[in-house]
Amino acid sequence: MFEAKFNKTNDWGIPGIAFAVCRHAESGKLFFGSSDFKVHEFDPSAEKPEPIAFEGDGHQSYVTTVALIGNTLISGGYDGRLIWWNTAERKAVRTQDAHAKWIRNIVVSADGKLLASVADDMTCKLWDAQTGELQQTFSDHVPITEHGYPSMLYAVAISMDGKLLASADKQGYIIVRNIESGETLATLHAPIMYTWDPRARRHSIGGIRSLAFSADGSQIAAGGIGTIGNIDHLGGNARVEVFDWKSAERLHELEDSKYKGLVERLEFHPNGKTLLTAGGDNGGFVTIYDLESKKIAHQEQAPMHVHGHVLDEWKSLYTVGHGKIAAWTIEG
Amino acid sequence: MNQLRNIIAPVGRRRFLGSAAASSAIAANMTVLDLLQNPVMADEVKRQGKRVILLWLAGGASQFETWDPKPGRPTGGPFRPIDTNVSGIQISELLPKMAANMQDTAIIRSLNTKVADHGTGAAILETGRIPEPGVQFPDLGAICARELARADSKVPDYVSMYAATEGRRHGYSGFLGSRYAPIMLTDKMVPRNLTRLEAVSDVDHVQRNDLRRLLAQRFERGRGHSSSVTSHNDAYERVRGIMASEKLFDIEQESQAMRDKYGPTQFGQQALVARRLCEAGVPFVKVARAWWDSHGQNFETHRELCADLDHVMDALLNDLKERGLLEHTLVITLGEFGRTPNINASLGRDHFANAWSCSLSGCGIKGGTVYGKTDEDGHAVVDGEAKAGDLFATIFKALAIDWETEYHLGARPIPITDFGCSPIDAVLA
Amino acid sequence: MTGSRLIAIVCAIFALPVLADEPPREPLQAVVDYHINQRLQSAGIVPAATLEDFAWLRRVTLDLAGRIPSQSEVAHFRSDSSDNKREVAVDRLMNSADYAYHERNFLDNLLQSEYDGDKEWRAWLLRSIREGRSWHEMFRTMMNGNDDNSDEKPALAFLKKRANDIDAMTNDASRLFFGVSVNCAQCHDHPLVDDWKQDHYFGFKSFFARTYVTKAQLLAEKPPVEVKFKTTEGEDKVAKLLFLTGAVVEEPEDKRSDEQKKADDEAIQKQIREDNAPRPPRPSFSPRRKLVDTALSGENSQLFARAMANRVWARFFARGLVHPLDQLHSENPASHPELFEWLAREFRNHNYNMRWLERGLVLSDAYARTSVWESDGEAPAAELFAVGAIRPLAPRQYAMTMLLATTNPEDFNKWQSADAWPAKRRELEDRADSWRREFELPGENFNVAVDEALLFANGDRVMNDFLRDGGDKLVGYLLKIEDADETITRAFAAVLSREPREGERSAFREFMSQREEKRVDGVRDMVWALITSPELRFNH
Repeated sequence: MFEAKFNKTNDWGIPGIAFAVCRHAESGKLFFGSSDFKVHEFDPSAEKPEPIAFEGDGHQSYVTTVALIGNTLISGGYDGRLIWWNTAERKAVRTQDAHAKWIRNIVVSADGKLLASVADDMTCKLWDAQTGELQQTFSDHVPITEHGYPSMLYAVAISMDGKLLASADKQGYIIVRNIESGETLATLHAPIMYTWDPRARRHSIGGIRSLAFSADGSQIAAGGIGTIGNIDHLGGNARVEVFDWKSAERLHELEDSKYKGLVERLEFHPNGKTLLTAGGDNGGFVTIYDLESKKIAHQEQAPMHVHGHVLDEWKSLYTVGHGKIAAWTIEG
Repeated sequence: MNQLRNIIAPVGRRRFLGSAAASSAIAANMTVLDLLQNPVMADEVKRQGKRVILLWLAGGASQFETWDPKPGRPTGGPFRPIDTNVSGIQISELLPKMAANMQDTAIIRSLNTKVADHGTGAAILETGRIPEPGVQFPDLGAICARELARADSKVPDYVSMYAATEGRRHGYSGFLGSRYAPIMLTDKMVPRNLTRLEAVSDVDHVQRNDLRRLLAQRFERGRGHSSSVTSHNDAYERVRGIMASEKLFDIEQESQAMRDKYGPTQFGQQALVARRLCEAGVPFVKVARAWWDSHGQNFETHRELCADLDHVMDALLNDLKERGLLEHTLVITLGEFGRTPNINASLGRDHFANAWSCSLSGCGIKGGTVYGKTDEDGHAVVDGEAKAGDLFATIFKALAIDWETEYHLGARPIPITDFGCSPIDAVLA
Repeated sequence: MTGSRLIAIVCAIFALPVLADEPPREPLQAVVDYHINQRLQSAGIVPAATLEDFAWLRRVTLDLAGRIPSQSEVAHFRSDSSDNKREVAVDRLMNSADYAYHERNFLDNLLQSEYDGDKEWRAWLLRSIREGRSWHEMFRTMMNGNDDNSDEKPALAFLKKRANDIDAMTNDASRLFFGVSVNCAQCHDHPLVDDWKQDHYFGFKSFFARTYVTKAQLLAEKPPVEVKFKTTEGEDKVAKLLFLTGAVVEEPEDKRSDEQKKADDEAIQKQIREDNAPRPPRPSFSPRRKLVDTALSGENSQLFARAMANRVWARFFARGLVHPLDQLHSENPASHPELFEWLAREFRNHNYNMRWLERGLVLSDAYARTSVWESDGEAPAAELFAVGAIRPLAPRQYAMTMLLATTNPEDFNKWQSADAWPAKRRELEDRADSWRREFELPGENFNVAVDEALLFANGDRVMNDFLRDGGDKLVGYLLKIEDADETITRAFAAVLSREPREGERSAFREFMSQREEKRVDGVRDMVWALITSPELRFNH
């Protein structure tokens, strides 16, 4: 079992809601996207850390996702735009009207060459991360739910070797593709995470919100929320399903009733047996699962609903979310 | 005109409607034209043929994500405002179809109804006043049924559809009596007990009712002092007519193209039923869409539900217009309250009744208007504050119902418009 | 002139009493008739005739037992030639198993109709009635019962269900127990009634303002809480503990330290939030206890006595001596002030005994009048009580009536006359209970919804529960009778407790003769027509 000491070392209040964060390895600076439509730099090592907003023609809605390649930051938002920024100058270098609807998530391949984005126009797009050129568009998620309402495409992941692309939607469908051939390799389904309530309230607030490949690419984890009694609130168990995508076998169903809500973030440990999850309802959590025993290896209450996280070699962790940034250390 | 009307014995009205009903071509009938010299009677004629469809957004939809966007403000949320086909009016990008169809719709952005719990909030917006223990006020549907329905109506007067179970409320006719209570649809698209049981032949169904009528008529002799007694026979006499309206609830009677216009959701199908009912003369139809109560994930909730609202409202208004019904039909989009400016940690918005919006379309409404204003973050009304009673007075006036009418409960006069309230003339045609 | 009309007039003349100069001192029914007849006489009105035996028995059985009489009960009553047969019948009904159920349903509908379905509350009402508890005793338990006492605990539902809305609790307590609807005075002094000021509303509310329910569903009272209000002149006032009659309750000074107050507040918050919080202590000074003491003492007790006397009157006469029932104030005088005062006073002197009140009222001549006004012209004003009341049946009463009217009448006779009746009655009560939501609880201006007519016209539940042709049902019973006329006669007897009249008989005969080929349907539909007659829907 993964044994680690896991402590929150600091947290800072910020205005608004931070939806995503990444970290510059050398400088230790953080970059986060916010509900104030802006991307901010944040230096946790400063004496009195303050968010510093990037300037210029930016987003026109919530900035919900960020990725970093060297000194280039890429952000996506509910305005459908992808923006490439020079982090040193904090200025936009390229703006791409990437999607017709809200961009939910982006991810960059390990080699920094590929960028994948998902949006509520129900397309998953692959871009040249350097040039911003569109390479492929996948329109294979169903845009209207079986109940006649708009679906949403929340989550995207690229395998470590850069060969596999997966995306996951509101109804709980996960599609795994071969990037080079564009071929669909598997369609998996985690229907519980949809949360459609057919009787009492006739709507849903769930969906697969996070997705991650294991280091060897054989497993894929999906995060969301379990069955909700009263769909007005995020009152369901935090839920994770792990699949062997080739056989479509569901290897693990993990639910936590102590800290409830959406699993917004997922990351596999390189050992393939340990999974970090984070998210929340009105409050938040960081939970590390040991997959062999299917048990919680460690768990901490977060000072906010966690929307974004970034790990540094599983030694330190930053989480961002509602009104807060928090720093954590992992010793193990 | 402050017309006192005794609700216990609405004899004058009944008599008048009887005579009006007897002459099918009202306007061409000289006796009726004479009646128009009498302002009370003229009002009666004007009211005839008016209809209401209430789209009830149960649980409370967000004004920010519908009619009163606050772009770029911390309270505004992620969605952007879009221009509409009426210059100067912007609404949320979640309502693109309505944005192109605002010429018949007025938005009221300045409701302040103060009470933000579901039960009381709903009661206030259903009756136009704060509930009073011990007095059962009729709801809007019952008032409209009473004011707009023909006494000898062969169709239901008030149909209420509420499919979800959360927050489901049966409409109520209160002190007006069950004559004006709604026919309620919950789990099925057709009202209960509308279809004759197979075991009873049609002839038997009619003839056993003749026997019942004979007993009722004999029983009523010398008992005319009780209006309760006569209401019993009246209710049974309406059964066959109401049964004949069964087809109105069957959207299979509509072409596939028409059904496609309203879309596949239950809300859409019910709106289509509502149109069919109004077309056939049902004066008040409520279609409740529950449940908008977005304490968690407000934006996901509105992304999901607004698409449906936008599509269905647009389809309904277009369809009514194409049929020439919109000028006689008032479409109200309303819930029990709006949502907070503050966005909570679950990305939700909570209950908020201090500054919120509704819309009125069609009959008697000056389309393409916005009334009232909230501050830049939507915390408070800064112009044109409207109470539930003001909204009700506006609705009554749009329908040519005398908004100053009083009912009587025993000796106590009860105005149909709450004390101190009056119509918002700015949104009236 | 028809024969029955002639008899009615003869009876009416016969019924005109010779009035004494002084009102009688007892019994209750004599006092009622003295005052009612005196007013009729001074108005020059001859009241409607007295009911025939079968009709009177049917009316009183519906009123005291919540059901129609069996045919054997009717026959027995008819054949009884003793002078006091009505008294005997009333006492029999009030001592039957039925009485407590129907009385319970009356009180439940009155007090908790908005919070339908609380079984323990209903069981408490039933127990209280069976044990002969008086109305003020029940009131005391509802207001001050102890959660630790399993008998008393369910009575607290009255307050618990209203605990999240103290204004509703205030007004409901005021109108239901004292006949005073004070909510108009919440925002301003009552516009029509000098008796009711804002001080009264907030003063009365002060008795409830400290009431709360803990997470563990225990009823509790906080330490002193100020009720503040703004008068229409804009003055800020702190309400005193003021009863509706104007009586003020003095309260001991709150000597708690600030620390103690803070600790108390925290303890209360804990009780409201946590299941396992320590139980709230009984406060040394309980405003609700003071309310009960004040409301039942001396002249203050008039309101409590008047309110229920008026309600029980309205239960049998369709309207109160003061009407509406929640408008007991000086601007709304009683139709018969002396009678009203006498009833209230004697109700109190009889220890608020509901049975005493009910028994006397149903034995009066005023109660026994036919509901048909046969004389020329419109019926006299309702407040003269010149003609019998017509009252829609309450949901359970209607369902029970429907069940019994459609039962094989021989079975009904058998159950009714045997020791098995209490058990059978309970079983029927449960079945009637399952129907209650199909019918509206009658209020002011009751009228029948088309929904109800549709239910009877097309509901399969009506077909299954009431119109089956099994041997246990009326339809099955009638099918065994070969003679068509006899079938009709027995159907009328079972459903309406009477013979078919001319015109009715011929119409039914014709209906049946057209259905000789399908007699099952014919009998079923004949019964349908009888049970959907207003004659069964109303107590008349």
